[in-house]
Amino acid sequence: MPQKLTVLIIEDERNICDFISTSLTSQDYRVLTAYTGKAGLSLIASQGPDIVLLDLGLPDLDGLELIRQVRSWSAVPILVISARTGERDKVAALDLGADDYVTKPFGSSELMARIRTAIRHSHRLNGADGVQQPFCYDGLTIDFDRRQVTLHGEPIHLTQIEYKIVVYLAENSGRVVTYDAIISHVWGPYASTDNNRILRVNMANIRRKLEENPAEPRYILTEIGVGYRMREG
Amino acid sequence: MPVFKTSLLRRRNALENLLVTAAILLVTTCIAFLYWFATEHSANTALFYVTALVAVARYTTGYLPGILASLVGVVCVNYFFTYPAFTLDFTLAGYPVTFLAMLLISVAVTTVTSHMKEQAQALSRHEKLLAEAEKEKMKANLLRAISHDLRTPLTGIIGASSSYLENGRLLTDTEKDALIRNISEDAQWLLHMVENLLSITRIQNDTSTVTRTLEPVEEVVAEAVERLRSRYPGAHIQVAIPEEFLMIPMDAILIEQVILNLLENAIIHAKSTRPIRFCVTCDAHSVTFTVRDYGEGIPKERLGTIFDAVPSSPVSSIDGHKGMGIGLSICKTIILAHQGTIEAHNTEEGAEFSFCLPREENPHATETNGSDY
Repeated sequence: MPQKLTVLIIEDERNICDFISTSLTSQDYRVLTAYTGKAGLSLIASQGPDIVLLDLGLPDLDGLELIRQVRSWSAVPILVISARTGERDKVAALDLGADDYVTKPFGSSELMARIRTAIRHSHRLNGADGVQQPFCYDGLTIDFDRRQVTLHGEPIHLTQIEYKIVVYLAENSGRVVTYDAIISHVWGPYASTDNNRILRVNMANIRRKLEENPAEPRYILTEIGVGYRMREG
Repeated sequence: MPVFKTSLLRRRNALENLLVTAAILLVTTCIAFLYWFATEHSANTALFYVTALVAVARYTTGYLPGILASLVGVVCVNYFFTYPAFTLDFTLAGYPVTFLAMLLISVAVTTVTSHMKEQAQALSRHEKLLAEAEKEKMKANLLRAISHDLRTPLTGIIGASSSYLENGRLLTDTEKDALIRNISEDAQWLLHMVENLLSITRIQNDTSTVTRTLEPVEEVVAEAVERLRSRYPGAHIQVAIPEEFLMIPMDAILIEQVILNLLENAIIHAKSTRPIRFCVTCDAHSVTFTVRDYGEGIPKERLGTIFDAVPSSPVSSIDGHKGMGIGLSICKTIILAHQGTIEAHNTEEGAEFSFCLPREENPHATETNGSDY
């Protein structure tokens, strides 16, 4: 019997806290709750949770500030809970080192999936076994070793840049990746991130090669104003 | 503090009056000199000063500048233009009459113009009040419509939850499930409503504009359709976009909201018999988004006012439960803030809603691209 994974919820709304904690407990997680940022910080330090769910709007401490503080000494996955219209906050949180976000309101199944993804990615980072399994989802296969992308068995010809983008998204499958993160990964850290048109154009070309209907993408989803998310492989 | 302020204001006003008066008199004197040099007649100079008086009365407030101007005017005429020139001679025959006449003209003109100014002020104040009242009325109507729309699902939620809590033991599992499902549906609807309302707060109130950045049309369309599918898993929609890669300036969250509202409207209200068609077309200047359903169409009497905030009698909402509420009027607000157009009409097989957004017109617009993130 493996040890239970510990989830820390930092959220000032007790109703939301209760609902998350109920659904997590029923999924066999151990749940800690903090209603303030300060309490959350000390729980992260003392309990060492496996993942932190963080509401950005806390009464005592700015959520972004909390991420900054935690990231200075811990790599614990942080999942941000945010309002739909707060794109700027989402991007800021992700750039500060948050792993992903869920948009309020969310169902418990969506939350569980995000938690599993974040934990899986953090384990992969810690494990660092070096061998990457090919990415497979619904007919799309990316073989990292042979640098080959196939769709329903047919090889897809991507340009160098397009391949880099697809691979980066696949490595982070299930997680949102911000425009800036993709640009600095693909074009280098000195690339200008204030014009993401080139990324958008490349993404449009990728979609035209991978997706049946670019208006109804199956593999690479858009998170408007934030970035892209590849379906979990 | 206010006393100090008014006295300051008055002093500034007096200074302004003085300056205006001095300027007008100076200009008049110059003109009179020019005329004098040109024609060597001085008989008409008094008339220049009379004209100046009218101007002074028009551009200053109160009687003082006018009286001052007539005084100066008489002295000037006497000093500059009456033989012997450049001397003051108050013994001249008719001098008091000239002064009196100019004084009278000044007072009369000042009275008339100040009366005119008062009237204009009263008129503009009245207009402002009217506009304000109209605004208040619209606000009240909107609030009434919103509260009505909010109360309906809330009634459902409160009713279902209280009957679960009070009679939980007597209910079968299926009944319980049905109650909870109703709560969930009503809550979804409330959320949709609140998102609509929140979206208007992204529009700047004073200028009625939005922060636009270049966004790929296909991504906005894709996200809207994706969100709709997650909300209505059984919905049948066909989406078609141009092969060309299009980026147009917009607030993507708001346009997504518009698309979502139109699609949802088609799903819930149209009773469409065939899949809803959502297509995007473009020409050189604009991109058009069209949602077409194959249902019963829009009732004729509502066609003209379908995008207006409130149905004529908001309390007796004919839509009843889960009406379109203010969704369509929010669509219109958003599209207008994008300098676009939105329209609705009936086709042979159903209804068609479409909106049109301008394409990037100047290349400088790209400068703002991405600065939002």
